[in-house]
Amino acid sequence: MRNAPRTALALGSVAVAAALILSGCTPGADDGGTTGPITDEQREEALTTPTELTFWTWVPDIENEVALFEEKYPAIDVKVENVGQGLPHYQKLRSAIEAGEGAPDVAQIEYQYIPSFVLSESLLDLVPYGADELSGDYVDWAWNQVSPDDAVWAMPQDVGPMGNLYREDLLAQAGITEPPATWEEYATAAQAVKDATGSYISNLGATQAGQMIGFFWQKGVKPFGYDGDQTVSIDVNSDEAKEVATYWTELIQKDLISTDVDFQDQWYQGLASGKYAGWLTAAWGPVFLQGTAEGTSGLWRAAPLPQWAEGENVSGNWGGSSDAVLASSENPIAAYELAKFINHDEESAMMLATEQFLYPPQLSVLEDPAFIDLQSEFYGGQEVNKLFAEISETVDTDFQWLPFMDYVYSTYEETMGTVIADKGDIAAALDEWQDQLVAYAEDQGFTVE
Amino acid sequence: MTDLDTRAAVTIGHTGGARRGKRSFDPKKRRSLLLTVLLWLCVLYFVLPLWWLLVSATKDNSALFSTFGLWFGGDFSLGENLATLFTVRDGIFVRWLANTLVYSLASAVGATLLATMAGYAFAKYEFPGKRALFSATLGAIMIPLTALALPTYLLFSQAGLTDTPWAVIVPSLVTPFGVYLMRVYAADAVDDSLIEAARVDGAGEFRIFWQVGLRLLGPGLVTVFLFSLVATWNNYFLPLIMLNSSDLYPITVGLAQLQSAASAGGGSQALFSTVITGSFVSILPLIIAFLFLQRYWQSGLATGGVKG
Amino acid sequence: MSHSPALTTPSPPVAPPKRRGASTAKRKQHLAAYLFVLPFFVVFIAMLVVPLVYSGYLSLFESKLIGGDVFAGLANYVRALQDSAFLASIGRMGLFFVVQVPIMLGLALFLALALDTARARGSKAVRLLVFMPYAVPAVVATLMWGYLYGPDFGPIAQIARAVGLGTPDFLSPGSILGSMMNIVTWEFVGYNMIIMYAALRSIPAELYEAAEIDGAGQLRIAWSVKIPAIRPAILLTVIFSIIGTFQLFAEPSLLNAIAPDAITNSFTPNYYAYNLAFINQELNYAAAIAFLLGLFIAVVSYIVQLGSQRRERRERSAS
Repeated sequence: MRNAPRTALALGSVAVAAALILSGCTPGADDGGTTGPITDEQREEALTTPTELTFWTWVPDIENEVALFEEKYPAIDVKVENVGQGLPHYQKLRSAIEAGEGAPDVAQIEYQYIPSFVLSESLLDLVPYGADELSGDYVDWAWNQVSPDDAVWAMPQDVGPMGNLYREDLLAQAGITEPPATWEEYATAAQAVKDATGSYISNLGATQAGQMIGFFWQKGVKPFGYDGDQTVSIDVNSDEAKEVATYWTELIQKDLISTDVDFQDQWYQGLASGKYAGWLTAAWGPVFLQGTAEGTSGLWRAAPLPQWAEGENVSGNWGGSSDAVLASSENPIAAYELAKFINHDEESAMMLATEQFLYPPQLSVLEDPAFIDLQSEFYGGQEVNKLFAEISETVDTDFQWLPFMDYVYSTYEETMGTVIADKGDIAAALDEWQDQLVAYAEDQGFTVE
Repeated sequence: MTDLDTRAAVTIGHTGGARRGKRSFDPKKRRSLLLTVLLWLCVLYFVLPLWWLLVSATKDNSALFSTFGLWFGGDFSLGENLATLFTVRDGIFVRWLANTLVYSLASAVGATLLATMAGYAFAKYEFPGKRALFSATLGAIMIPLTALALPTYLLFSQAGLTDTPWAVIVPSLVTPFGVYLMRVYAADAVDDSLIEAARVDGAGEFRIFWQVGLRLLGPGLVTVFLFSLVATWNNYFLPLIMLNSSDLYPITVGLAQLQSAASAGGGSQALFSTVITGSFVSILPLIIAFLFLQRYWQSGLATGGVKG
Repeated sequence: MSHSPALTTPSPPVAPPKRRGASTAKRKQHLAAYLFVLPFFVVFIAMLVVPLVYSGYLSLFESKLIGGDVFAGLANYVRALQDSAFLASIGRMGLFFVVQVPIMLGLALFLALALDTARARGSKAVRLLVFMPYAVPAVVATLMWGYLYGPDFGPIAQIARAVGLGTPDFLSPGSILGSMMNIVTWEFVGYNMIIMYAALRSIPAELYEAAEIDGAGQLRIAWSVKIPAIRPAILLTVIFSIIGTFQLFAEPSLLNAIAPDAITNSFTPNYYAYNLAFINQELNYAAAIAFLLGLFIAVVSYIVQLGSQRRERRERSAS
């Protein structure tokens, strides 16, 4: 079974080497395109020349932010298209890139997918356009996500630092008045809540890789690494990762945590009906929950994630997107200005945060009292935005991804998802996941560290 | 073609029609209560899901998840649901319906025309290579079309034709089975003596086809047309991989996209009832078409047609 | 490619012998015939033959994220034949075929026969209502059944709970195949019924009127006269079912959204090919899988026809 791919792999390497010698360049090197920084004249010219830009995003009603941009630059006409959310969006994007036609100028890309588009050299490095000057305007870890090295591949749009949303009333019935500060306390509380109310303290979506990876992130696990070229590191079954997995295995096996598939009708009902007394989620969660469980308004509270060691204060991230400019764009300057405007202009960024309820990485918004002092009825008058702004500062800054996250997530479903749903040993499933990831990476010609 | 030639999948001829007339006036016919009950129980199985769809289209999101599924409950929200459906994302639903209509009509008209011409030629002409060509056509019936969708997509993408209506319409024009059907049908429905007579009158072959052949092929045409219409209308795989712009989606891909957006939230919870209402609206045109055209397709089927 | 007993036609009518100017007229007619079949075969070659050949060509290469395309000979096929996920998906569809197709066709045959006797009230309405799901796209059917299967608010679960049966779980890994069989059955019974019914309607009445007069029951007539008479039509439905089963796509792809833990990426071969191409980015391997799948379907269809043909011969010579 292994021989055929190995041989092919060897052939592949030879071919690559030959190609490199012939073309006389190293992969990843940006040949063609603009090398020097863009001058003000060039920018001026680009923004006053009538231009049509295509922008692929699934953010609802982003037309409003785009309208602000068009108002400022009347020469630019932006066509917004929603080709799907998540995986379908990336599939379409890749198809269009491969076809060499029909790709947008600007596309929404979640942080974890940036490396796969960097690998295929589909994104434009925004440094010559002045993007590196903006690094100080975003929270550090979010900026590192779009700029893991010298290049800047996208503009951060929103982020998802993780916290704990819980039903104060249900926890109180179990005699718990303070949100659990450590994971140990959380486990004890889970038992108490189950005994007193019959509710699960929270649900771990069986196939939700994003949530689990967020927990890894908090724990300091570095499951993935990518050097931007041909070398990846894969370590999803490290001791720390297994510690996290074992923790959840125990709670699930004691029937204190449910494993319903999340973002499904049934799961929505569980949040609304009190089947789950909480949700360990990201900063985009509070408003999302508000729309889902209207009937329980005022009963919810928000808190930081429980910690692995007492006195610690760290969190992980789950979700969030950026807007990238495609290398194939014929109007890169205008396209960059669009990506920048949407995610940097104060009015637009504020709008994203308060109308689309995307949690902001922009310091301008995070420091604006109009945003962070907002009190939420749903959370009993708590200043939820402020809480998550504080959490956001505790997110580890150099978490990395693999350049094939589609495959990573889909094998997560296959290996981890089924085990979690069956209440099996999640730590053991990590080994299986690791093996499949390494095999795939080697098969695809990567050097695995 | 050996002794099997004499056997057809679907026997053709006027015997069917004749028999039908005779039997329906048979005075000795007895009704069977048991059979009636059994049949209508089966009907329940086929109809209840559609009934559920109708009922659910009248509910808002919260009633959808809190009332009994097979009966009306909560506020009667059909109006609101329809209003949302036709306004969501600037009324893109109408666009999807129109796309589906255009794709299916174009494919069905084209496929029927191609199949009829080829089937007619196979039935009424002797020409070198006829057997080989017809055998190839029959063999192609067994090739799973979706297995071809992927390579077809790659070809289209190299030709820069993905994300255009052609990418959905052109591959749907091939219906080997339609050719087979039209051959069977034409062999019987178009009398050779009519063709000969027209020839003697000096009519060209194409005029004969248009003026004599087509007129006699009516029910067969409708059958092939309807079934290729349904095949394109219901197709999901091909448009899913071929199209990128949501402006070009047919209703199937659009609904699937709406559904996944509903599941993923995106801030708009009301989408569940929208998806259900959209599903309901999307099946109405075809059901109505089948009801109105049943005389044609049923007679087409009974006299020779099976599927296109 | 040979043709099947189910798909053959009656002998072409023999054209009346022509006497004068035979060769010119004939050449003209040949030309006309070629022009008639030309448009179909142009599209046929472009949309069927070329993709098939192209798929075969692609499948001989390997494409890697690092390194690009490399000629790989038959490596993709070797890999596919050892790929447990692919083989399991074929096996799963084999099970699907063995269980679901007999149920679907059995029900369709029962309905067609029952309607043909015209002994039930409202036959015409029954025919239409049973046929109606055929007009429902697989996407809508799957979405709809997905809701009907819902464990909390799905009507089936509501009724089951009301009568004290507990909540049935239609979407667990153990039951999802059955749930999918049900969806496909619901979609296609009516269609198959119509094919069989049309065939039944064209059996010459004399064939069984004698039996009726002799007092033979309807069951007996159905079994020994009608079913044998429509065997070619039944064979046709079997072949279409083979093709349909092994290329299921919309059902698993939409059910995956509501039951991702039950529907694996390789649940059906076609869904696997799609995921390989678009998620794993292994386009060439996907082409090999699609090619093998097509070959497999063609071979199975052919074997089924041969088997039926042989059986028929045996019966004919025995009688």
